[in-house]
Amino acid sequence: MTRRGTKILSAVAVAFTGFVVSSANAQQSPQPVKAVQIIGLASVKDNAKGVLSVGNGQLHFVHSKSNSDVSALSIQDVVTGADSQRAVGKTIGMLSMAAPYGGGRFLSLFRTKIDTLTIQYRDADGGLRGAIFSMPVGAAEVIKKELVAQGAHTSAPAEQNAVSSPSTNSPDKREKQ
Amino acid sequence: MRRVLIAAVGLFLSAFLFAAPLPAQEKRTAKIKASAIQVEMIQSDEIKLPAEFQVALYENLLRQLEKQRGFQHVYRDGDRGAASATDLVVLHSTVRGFKAGSERARQVTTIAGATSVTIHCQFTSPDGTSLLESDVNGKVRFFGGNLKATYDFAKKATHLAHENFTSPGHE
Repeated sequence: MTRRGTKILSAVAVAFTGFVVSSANAQQSPQPVKAVQIIGLASVKDNAKGVLSVGNGQLHFVHSKSNSDVSALSIQDVVTGADSQRAVGKTIGMLSMAAPYGGGRFLSLFRTKIDTLTIQYRDADGGLRGAIFSMPVGAAEVIKKELVAQGAHTSAPAEQNAVSSPSTNSPDKREKQ
Repeated sequence: MRRVLIAAVGLFLSAFLFAAPLPAQEKRTAKIKASAIQVEMIQSDEIKLPAEFQVALYENLLRQLEKQRGFQHVYRDGDRGAASATDLVVLHSTVRGFKAGSERARQVTTIAGATSVTIHCQFTSPDGTSLLESDVNGKVRFFGGNLKATYDFAKKATHLAHENFTSPGHE
C-alpha cells in the first residue's frame, strides 16, 4: 500500500512539474538573437552588429557602444522577409575576386539564407521612422509575433507574410507597363 | 570683302560669348526659395515593393538631404514641427517601376542581375500646389546588395532638390 502511494505521489509530482515547466516556457519571451541593424535606428551606425530582443513592451537592440529601444506600441508596421548573403563575404570575399580561373565568382554562388525584419514606427515628434534588421533564418518571425503580442501593428499577418514578402534577391521584374 | 568677313566672325563670336551664359543664368535665378523640406513615406500602391526597399528608400533619402545641408530643416512624415515651418516644401515619392535583380547574378556574371527602381518625385507646397515633378532612377549594376539601389536613388533625388530649391541661409 505504501509503495502504491509513493508511486501515485511521484506520478502526480512529475505531472505537476511538467505542467509548471510548460506554462513557464509559454510565458517566456523569445531568446535574444544576433542581428545586424542595416539602416534606420537613431544613433546606431549602419550595418551595426548586435543583439535584438523583445521585452517589457520594447524592442531592444544592444550593440557594442549603446542600446536602442523602440516601444512596441509605437510600431505601425512590422514585416518579415527572406534574403541571402554571400557565405564568404567582406575582405576575403573581395580578395577572392582576384583569384584565377573565376574562383571568386565560383565562391559567390555559395550564399546563406537570412531573415529580414522591417519596422516602421513613430518617434516622439510624431515623425515616421523605419529600421531594417537581418538575422538568422526563423528568428524574424518569432520576434514579429512577440512584438505583435505586445501591441505592435502589422500589415502582413503571419500566414500571408511568406507570400507577400518575396526575396529581394530573386530575379523578379515588376515594371509598370 | 575682308572687312565683311571679319565683321561676320566678330558678330558670331560676340553672339556666342554673350548668348551662351544666358541659359545658365536663367537656371540659377529659377531656383525656388525653400528653407525646409518634409519627406513623405514612399508610396507603392500600384507596384509591389518589398518593405525593406520602401524603408531603405525613405531613410536614405532623409539621410542624404540632411547630409547635403541644402535645407535648414528636414522633417519626417508626420513630424509635428513641420506645421510651423516657413517656406516648407513637401516631397511625395511614388514608385513607378521596380526590378529586384539578383546580387548573385551580378557577382557571378558582372553584367546581369541589375537592380533598379524608378520613383516619381513630386515637390509641392504645403497646400498641395505642385512645384516640381520628375522621375528619378536608382540602380545597382555591378557591386553591392540590392538595397544599394535605394542609396543611388537618394543621392539623385537630393541632387534634384538642390538644383531646384534654395534655402535663404544656404545660398
